[in-house]
Amino acid sequence: MSSPDFHLLLPAKAENVLVVRQAVAGLGEAIGLPEQRIDDLKTVVTEACNNVVLHAYDQRPGPLAVTAEAGEDEVAVVVADRGRGFEPRPSGAGEASLGLGLPLIAALSDSFEISGGAGEGTRTSIRFGYAPPVGRDNGTPGIERIEETLSMQLAPGAAVRPVLARVLGAMASRADLPVDRLADSVLLGDAVSSHAPADFAEGQVAVSIKDGDRALDVRVGPLIEGGGERILAQMEIPGGGSLRKLARSMEVTKGVASDGSSAEFLVFEIAT
Amino acid sequence: MGSNQGIPGSVRTGEIALERTEAGLPVLAIKGEHDLSTAPVLRQQLHSLIAEGVPIVVDLSSATFVDSSILGVILDARRRAEAEGRGFAVSHANGADPVGRVLDITGLRSELPVHAARELAETAAVGNPSGKSPA
Repeated sequence: MSSPDFHLLLPAKAENVLVVRQAVAGLGEAIGLPEQRIDDLKTVVTEACNNVVLHAYDQRPGPLAVTAEAGEDEVAVVVADRGRGFEPRPSGAGEASLGLGLPLIAALSDSFEISGGAGEGTRTSIRFGYAPPVGRDNGTPGIERIEETLSMQLAPGAAVRPVLARVLGAMASRADLPVDRLADSVLLGDAVSSHAPADFAEGQVAVSIKDGDRALDVRVGPLIEGGGERILAQMEIPGGGSLRKLARSMEVTKGVASDGSSAEFLVFEIAT
Repeated sequence: MGSNQGIPGSVRTGEIALERTEAGLPVLAIKGEHDLSTAPVLRQQLHSLIAEGVPIVVDLSSATFVDSSILGVILDARRRAEAEGRGFAVSHANGADPVGRVLDITGLRSELPVHAARELAETAAVGNPSGKSPA
């Protein structure tokens, strides 16, 4: 089983659906999908995420997990939650989302299926293209964690740069950062992407982003020993400058990887 | 708002502008990307306009993305307007752009119906309460 091109984990909130939409658009761009197909992908993923935001947690906080994997002939997307599963209930006034959302997914994707049950959470698995089905036994890594940050893991490849750039751009935009800071956040994302994935401890580019009022806190890693310093070195510009000056602060810290081992992280803040 | 040119991903949810025709007819122009996060604002604005008791036009021509929650709000507003005998019509001038594609796939282009120009929608909204074309 290959790993997905990206795995996004973020709070299931209405304002986060746009971020997921940008991530899949970045992947679509990276694999050269035609513009209309990128639009379709955005719609399909939006509708699947809407179902999570509207129905999974009954107004309580909970995680939304999205994985996407581009194969030779298809993109496989899984949108998952840890919510209460589908339950029969009347829809509220004006709440037409579930009525139109699933038909949109059905019409624009090659196939989709919804699995899960009461108390198990729900997975919507969507496929574009006509390749034979792939298994879905890889679980949804990290979904047990509920955090107020966005975290993503990107498999090495052409999608890293556009997906990371678009997600950073969307988060910076939402944090109300001015245009020059937006550009800075994308440049710093590119600096991280260009280094990928040699120095990442788990073989995947891993980035967490927390957005605040006019600020983004970005945590890159887990990295292998010395990885943080090597990324910093790559940010040096001939003549004495450094891209690190684009961040308000940037440092290499020690932390804990998901398997409990100690690892390095590069943390930086982009702010007005 | 919309997109900051050249910066990938820097797309924000769009805006909803209340414009008026020369005759004073309110036109709610939906611009940029709209989804679950902006649906409550759109619903509120439409309800306020319906309460004003005037014919309403919703113009989707400058929208770059709408999801089913936005379409649901528009359908609900049309039902309310119809129930109160107010004119209501939708326009979208861009044919097969992403928004047009969603209107086609959901069947809403004919169901609402969606008029190909704002002026046509204005005429429909003023001419008959549901905004539907005369039989």
